[in-house]
Amino acid sequence: MKNISRFILVVLALAWSLNVFAQDVVVAEPGQELDMILMPKFLGILVFDQAHDGAMEAHEELENSGELIFNAPTPENAIPGQIEIIESGITQGVDAIMISANDYDQLVPSTTSAIEEGITIVTWDSPVDPTGEALFIAQVDFSETGQVMADMALNLLGEEGGQFAILSATPDASNQNAWIAAMEEVLAEDETYANLELVATVYGNDDPDDSYNEALGLVDSYPDLGLIMAPTTVGIAAAAKAMQDEGLCEQVAVSGLGLPAEMQEFTESGCAPEFALWSFTDLGYLTYYVSYLLATDAIEAEAGVSFEAGRMGEYTIEEDPTREGGLRVLMGPFSLYNVDNFDEWAITDDMEEDMDDEESEEDSDS
Amino acid sequence: MRIFQRFPWLQRWETLLLILLVIVIAVNSQLSEFYFDADNISNIFRLSIEKAIVVVVMAFVIINAEIDLSVASIMGLAASVLAYTYEAGQPLIIGILAALIVGLICGLINGYFIAYLGIPSLVVTLAGLIMFRGAARILLEDRSVGNYPDWFTNIAQAEVIGPFPITIVIFIALFVLCYVILQYSTFGRYVYAIGNNLEGSEYAGIDVKRVKMWIFVASALIATVAGIFYAARLGNIRANAAEGFELDIITIVLLGGVSIFGGKGTMLGVGLSLLLVLNLRNGMSLTNVNGNTQTSVVGLLLILSVLIPNMAQSFQTWWARQSFGDKEKRLKTEEV
Repeated sequence: MKNISRFILVVLALAWSLNVFAQDVVVAEPGQELDMILMPKFLGILVFDQAHDGAMEAHEELENSGELIFNAPTPENAIPGQIEIIESGITQGVDAIMISANDYDQLVPSTTSAIEEGITIVTWDSPVDPTGEALFIAQVDFSETGQVMADMALNLLGEEGGQFAILSATPDASNQNAWIAAMEEVLAEDETYANLELVATVYGNDDPDDSYNEALGLVDSYPDLGLIMAPTTVGIAAAAKAMQDEGLCEQVAVSGLGLPAEMQEFTESGCAPEFALWSFTDLGYLTYYVSYLLATDAIEAEAGVSFEAGRMGEYTIEEDPTREGGLRVLMGPFSLYNVDNFDEWAITDDMEEDMDDEESEEDSDS
Repeated sequence: MRIFQRFPWLQRWETLLLILLVIVIAVNSQLSEFYFDADNISNIFRLSIEKAIVVVVMAFVIINAEIDLSVASIMGLAASVLAYTYEAGQPLIIGILAALIVGLICGLINGYFIAYLGIPSLVVTLAGLIMFRGAARILLEDRSVGNYPDWFTNIAQAEVIGPFPITIVIFIALFVLCYVILQYSTFGRYVYAIGNNLEGSEYAGIDVKRVKMWIFVASALIATVAGIFYAARLGNIRANAAEGFELDIITIVLLGGVSIFGGKGTMLGVGLSLLLVLNLRNGMSLTNVNGNTQTSVVGLLLILSVLIPNMAQSFQTWWARQSFGDKEKRLKTEEV
């Protein structure tokens, strides 16, 4: 009798704990109507279009009958333009705004009044101050970005080290600034990188021409420069093009965060032997999922809350170690693109021909 | 064209602006149910109040046949000076005073070179655009300075009269004041006279240098005030504050019927043009028209503002010639 009751107790305890665990990971309930705004920094930039693709994929998957609005300001109107879109979202009574911020502080009065109106504010790619957002979808750990950039620099400059410079986006870009700070920290703290000397940080404003000229300016100013590290997809492509045009690839390598499709020719020519990135499509998808869950009150923005984000699996909201009082969902990890795995990521002529063949076959079928 | 002779106001640029404004308001209210919300009406002005304030003074500058490209940089410098002194631990009121003094100096520099040394304002204020922004960047580098006291951010954020913050009230007062000065005062007459004919004005005994000096000092000081309001609205300032605003400001003034060659234009036209652009932008952002299209539409409007008066002119000449021809024909047939 005793044994049986103990057995029942154990079974009950097990069932209870399983039940608790099952409840722990929240799954989104599709089909709810939410109007949402996805606002990147600017329009007409490939990675942001990819994020839009990802968000649209999630929008359809969750059968949201509401509207997914994709809008951003023009570069000369970057901050006032984002404020305008947020304020207009408040007036229209949208349910969520997903922001890649052009400024860490200046959007906060607007996002705060949006939160007061019950709108879910989720930042992605580039956050705002934690007081003005529910949470931040971090593409990768910011300190990991520093580590990855330091490793690529060491790999390209070799054990004996040398001089390198950073070509960034704008002086105000909060994500780039955080990555650069993280890299500087790694260089200062770890003896392994003692021979790497950061000689300058310049800004190409995420404009191809400006970045191209800044890259050439670096070569002129620092004759011993061995590497340009660009933590921006526009900057890295422009710098690699500049080095290739001037025939400087033997002396100055280019690395940083780049888009495989844009960087392929420079990796092939040896101008940009190695670079890193994450998937912006996934980032848009995950951002949409989290915003949907928050806006439907399925989850709260609290550390420790776990949820399922469709095809990407399970994630947990955690304290953001890089921003005091901030919460984040960490997407990760980095993908490294270099000569060694070139075949895995590059779109070769063979493949293009294959695709052409397939297309022509389809054509002939029809 | 007899209708124009009977109602000469029909031919005025202001009438066209008013018609366009009515159309824009009608379309906006059809496309968005939120357009007439009190909060939205407040937004129309609140989100561009700093530009609106500078537009009023820019009208004086351009009617006087000059240009001031440095206004946005002065706004940025003023905000940066305020931020810098506040960051250094000074009370905010000291920062505001420091910003006003720096703004005054900027205006005196512009005015001295233009009025007394006779260097074209395009060159002087272009140099100012670069130099004042450079000074702002030296002060703040890539830092951002915020956490201002509530009384300061409330100037631009708190809803004082209905949904309107105090900055909008100040703008309306400034507009009325400038309207009276430009259209009804001796100084206003001087501004037009100099814009129309500089040498003639000098012969007529107008102190041209002093008028120009006043205008550029006023332009810089008002830009300073606008820069301080911008800091209050954003609650946080970087050296790039208000960058590029000068183009929007000049666009609105020109669209208001002010001639880039000076001497022509009214404060009424500038006010209507301001309402037109702000309502147009608001309508487009309520209907989620993307930023690139919004900029293009305003650009298109500016081109039309140059084209339409010219085409109207040609049309009138053609019409006059036609009706003159008709008369001749009629006379001939009568003779026969």
